Amino acid sequence: MGIQTPNGFNLDNSGKRIVVDPVTRIEGHMRVEVNVDADNVIRNAVSTGTMWRGIEVILKNRDPRDAWAFTERICGVCTGTHALTSVRAVENALGITIPQNANSIRNLMQLALQVQDHIVHFYHLHALDWVDVISALSADPRATSTLAQSISSWPLSSPGYFKDLQTRLKKFVESGQLGPFKNGYWGSKAYKLPPEANLMAVAHYLEALDFQKEIVKIHTIFGGKNPHPNWLVGGVPCPINVDGTGAVGAINMERLNLISSIIDRLIEFNEQVYLPDVAAIGSFYKDWLYGGGLSGQSVLAYGDVPEHANDYSSSSLKLPRGAIINGNLAEVFPVDHANPDEIQEFVVHSWYKYPDETKGLHPWDGVTEPNYVLGPNAKGTKTAIEQLDEGGKYSWIKAPRWRGNAMEVGPLARWVVGYAQNKSEFKDPVDKFLKDLSLPLSALFSTLGRTAARALESVWAGRQMRYFQDKLVANIKAGDSSTANVDKWKPESWPKEAKGFGFTEAPRGALAHWIRIKDTKIDNYQCVVPTTWNGSPRDPKGNIGAFEASLLNTPMVNPEQPLEILRTIHSFDPCLACSTHVMSPDGQELAKVKVR
Amino acid sequence: MGAATETFYSVIRRQGITRRSFHKFCSLTATSLGLGPLAASRIANALETKPRVPVIWMHGLECTCCSESFIRSAHPLVKDAVLSMISLDYDDTIMAAAGHQAEAILEETRAKHKGQYILAVEGNPPLNEGGMFCIDGGKPFVEKLKMMADDAMAIIAWGACASWGCVQAAKPNPTQATPIDRIITNKPIIKVPGCPPIAEVMTGVVTFIITFGKLPELDRQGRPKMFYSQRIHDKCYRRPHFDAGQFVAEWDDEAARNGYCLYKMGCKGPTTYNACSTVRWNGGVSFPIQSGHGCIGCSEDGFWDKGSFYDRLTDIKQFGIEKNADQIGMAAAGAVGAAVAAHAAVTAVKRLASKREHADHNS
Amino acid sequence: MMDAVARLAESERDLTGIAADGSGEHGVGRPTVYVYEAPVRICHWVNAFSIIVLMVSGYFIGTPLPTVEGEASANFVMGYVRFAHFAAGQVLAVFFLVRILWAFVGNHHSRQIFYIPVHRRQFWKEVLHEIRWYAFLEREPKMYVGHNPLAQIAMFVGFTLFVAFMIVTGFALYSEGTGIDSWQHKLFGWVFAIWPNSQDVHTWHHIGMWALVVFATVHIYAAVREDIMSRQSIISSMISGERQFRD
Ligand code: HEM
Ligand code: HEM
Ligand code: SF4
Ligand code: SF4
Repeated sequence: MGIQTPNGFNLDNSGKRIVVDPVTRIEGHMRVEVNVDADNVIRNAVSTGTMWRGIEVILKNRDPRDAWAFTERICGVCTGTHALTSVRAVENALGITIPQNANSIRNLMQLALQVQDHIVHFYHLHALDWVDVISALSADPRATSTLAQSISSWPLSSPGYFKDLQTRLKKFVESGQLGPFKNGYWGSKAYKLPPEANLMAVAHYLEALDFQKEIVKIHTIFGGKNPHPNWLVGGVPCPINVDGTGAVGAINMERLNLISSIIDRLIEFNEQVYLPDVAAIGSFYKDWLYGGGLSGQSVLAYGDVPEHANDYSSSSLKLPRGAIINGNLAEVFPVDHANPDEIQEFVVHSWYKYPDETKGLHPWDGVTEPNYVLGPNAKGTKTAIEQLDEGGKYSWIKAPRWRGNAMEVGPLARWVVGYAQNKSEFKDPVDKFLKDLSLPLSALFSTLGRTAARALESVWAGRQMRYFQDKLVANIKAGDSSTANVDKWKPESWPKEAKGFGFTEAPRGALAHWIRIKDTKIDNYQCVVPTTWNGSPRDPKGNIGAFEASLLNTPMVNPEQPLEILRTIHSFDPCLACSTHVMSPDGQELAKVKVR
Repeated sequence: MGAATETFYSVIRRQGITRRSFHKFCSLTATSLGLGPLAASRIANALETKPRVPVIWMHGLECTCCSESFIRSAHPLVKDAVLSMISLDYDDTIMAAAGHQAEAILEETRAKHKGQYILAVEGNPPLNEGGMFCIDGGKPFVEKLKMMADDAMAIIAWGACASWGCVQAAKPNPTQATPIDRIITNKPIIKVPGCPPIAEVMTGVVTFIITFGKLPELDRQGRPKMFYSQRIHDKCYRRPHFDAGQFVAEWDDEAARNGYCLYKMGCKGPTTYNACSTVRWNGGVSFPIQSGHGCIGCSEDGFWDKGSFYDRLTDIKQFGIEKNADQIGMAAAGAVGAAVAAHAAVTAVKRLASKREHADHNS
Repeated sequence: MMDAVARLAESERDLTGIAADGSGEHGVGRPTVYVYEAPVRICHWVNAFSIIVLMVSGYFIGTPLPTVEGEASANFVMGYVRFAHFAAGQVLAVFFLVRILWAFVGNHHSRQIFYIPVHRRQFWKEVLHEIRWYAFLEREPKMYVGHNPLAQIAMFVGFTLFVAFMIVTGFALYSEGTGIDSWQHKLFGWVFAIWPNSQDVHTWHHIGMWALVVFATVHIYAAVREDIMSRQSIISSMISGERQFRD
């Protein structure tokens, strides 16, 4: 029963159905179902967002200056990025400009998140798809040390260091209480690293766990805490006072030094641990180049990290902006958030209702009404699903499309756009990475490529942080220590009606919020987030989204152990709390579960 | 429990930690909990004789900020907590297993550690749509939650979500997200609110339970007294400016740069119970007020629905009006004042008239 | 004289009798009744003063005065405002208590503001009469030794209940400073079972102030007006305790 989707993928759901629910090591709740053929190759894939919170409904009629705090709680992993998007949307709607320093500080916070999130993603959410923890027990610490020293000059690499670690791990495993490693797929043939590489990776898993908490201190300095630092419409809340009265309570020399030292350390970690690890692991998985999906075909990036305050044009944005379709890298299309024909969301296969479901709606006009029904071929009941029917509605995620195309977003998408635009800061590192592994450019469009792009981006982001830190200091030196513009702080100064949008590149990809303000209150708020793009179900034409596309044609070593599925899905770094967001104000109650 | 029955102490000893540094750890823990030296040896004793407690960490509707906060813990480091103090057998966010293999752990834990494991809940269950706004293993999350709660020793409600409902429960609460203490009524629940709670507060609560072998003392609202018995305002380093009457009046004004009190910018420190102003965030680097933004009251019940975060006197929405207490009060007082004045005027006129009448009569 | 007081205190209906036949008679000597005993009067003026202090200081707790210059330790503006509030609050609480106790030992009038005789039909009839009087629909007011029935309702709701509410919520708020082991928290901490987020307690305490402002306005107006218009003394009786009936 093979069919071909308009975006060129062959689907065949006749084989054995495998269900993975919950998909773990992601943010939020997700389910994947695939059909494998007789050779255990995935021929059909169905990805489902299985949670929904309705933040946008909740935002209605609130003070737009508070919206950042609500949207920030959409996700605690990419914490802060929704808040940044939100303050940008409100500023865009009300015509509020921010001071230079605020721009530098926001960039520092956004980039710090980029680095921290990428590191945590790779080591703590993704690494166990590549690394066999138990195999590390049989490694030779001496050989591990040699391996580590051959790939970088990171100091924690002595045989003794690895020996101690191995001992600790051994005792842990022998205790019989395996904690988070319990029931893992240890020993599977899908793991390809030698024991030494596994041991090294485990060491870095623990080091990264210690280190990631240092990176976020940049959020703590500017925003008071992490997760969920504080932001401000019109600038940033932290004042700068370098050598005046009361400077101890503001951004002063000590704070700037702390930021500087964190940046130094994260650059070092990126360049001596993270990127070399990805390259080393990649070298053992060179022939496992599945999972490309949409990445070689249709990718979308909004761009971010403005060089100049208040200038969000492509020329000011340091992360690239543009869309590529049909795999044609020679042409990068401009993207316009305000154009009703470009970004649209569809709901035919989502648990929502539109008056006309064959059409998509632009977020400014988004209507959303929940409609939880299973397709006719689903197995089980409404509250005990055994198997979904992808012919009907099957996800809490809507299906956003750019000019009708399903798009992949994320680090790889950004880097492909930057590469296609011939920007050397993106092209050169990619070329070097591929060359070191002697892989062709096509290898970039894979699960491994996605993982590599994230590491390259972390390195890039670290260096950008140094740049913006210097810029911040230079600007203060030049006598400007302003951090907030309060001209339009008071709602009395706002127009009766306004609309705007804000966008960022979240760690997971292109993120935008659309807002309408009426009588100083939020009238409509819509977010289209990275995992909505990547995790989208099918659209009316049958185009499949990035998750589903990426799983196709991947052979599984053992269908009972969904290791390959996890590996590819994790390479997107899904965030389900983000993606499953929208709903109408009149969302009616259906059945209720009895509370004891 | 077989091989699993071994003590925290034997585990860390076998991990190469010396007796000396073990005792150092114990006294550090005691200090960080504000306890005396005697307590340190009690902790040591407890750790020497107990197995690692199984912890099942479940996720409902949430944003994972609690997990993210937890891994920021500086003392103990989260790797030490997970490798040596507790046995984190199930946690969707970091566990290696998925699907059936993950589900199997829950069954096993219930059977093997009945009444001995700690259930840590991040997020809350939605009850609308048959609970299917949060699906886990094809079923409503709330079912899984109840099932695991039944056999737990104690339950920790992480963060504002599990404790109060948090953002998804803000009006109009479209999914009917419900704090867990309204679902689970037969087990002790320790609420550790905050959005998220401070990392060291989270690990502090967990280590308290495993070291003292009892649940922490709770206040009226179910929060551990050790971290939640005082307000941000009570220990805020800007409090002298509050008492002096020195306030920030506008963002980035002179007073802001001088670090004055943020009361007029809507700081919710005076009504918020949390440890931010003492423990502070991310290894003591700062906390919201120190970084120039008022407290938004993120550890308080329903803090989303108390009007703008930037208003000192927040709007009241009860009677279909959206005004703050002063606006309502002044309007009422004004109206009554006017009514009184009018009444007085009428009285005066009438009285005059009747006097004249009287006078007419008498003449 | 004592007999007269006792008689009047026993039944207000007798007084309405006076109202029925007392009009236009000039020859009758002005009766003087001892209504407000000393403790009532002392409590009244202490409480009135405290409430005024509480309103002013409370307002400035809610909306602080402009920032003062100089070192923090050299200033204590907010500290004094709050001190005044808490001091007046404690005084109000004590004298409100004394006033309640006096209701048990004092005369009939001392009890009047603590209840409404909801079950008495006559009472409601008279309420109606008073409403008409204030709405200028009755030409002649009735005479009462204590409160007229409308005033009794107003006093009960507007002062007794509201002041009690302010004291309860005020002490609950106060207990946040003294801590959860303090007697204030033990006695009044239950308020947070009603409003778990103390921000709500602040808000309602604040609204309570405005409710009292409204009632104080009406109260003073009514007192002054009645003094002039009806045939009984009000202001001086709150000072001397004796009520005189004119005409
Ligand atoms: C012209 C000034 C005032 C006069 C003539 C006056 C008169 C009275 C009278 C006759 C009563 C009835 C007492 C009873 O039935 O037990 C009373 C009660 C009361 N008044 Fe006033 N009052 C005046 C001003 C105020 C002010 C300024 C306040 C405070 C804002 C106030 C607060 C109260 C309270 C709380 C009560 C009820 C409790 C009690 O009886 O002590 N009064 N007043
Ligand atoms: C008629 C009586 C009272 C009035 C009109 C009054 C008025 C006020 C007002 C307007 C506020 C500011 C509320 C806000 O916006 O946060 C306040 C706060 C407060 N009141 Fe009262 N109050 C009264 C009685 C009391 C009493 C009896 C106490 C008990 C000691 C008390 C203790 C407090 C406390 C502790 C605060 C909070 C102060 C702070 O946040 O620093 N009040 N009051
Ligand atoms: S900044 Fe906030 S918590 Fe600190 S003293 Fe002022 S009002 Fe209190
Ligand atoms: S200061 Fe207030 S808002 Fe900030 S983290 Fe602490 S409790 Fe939450």
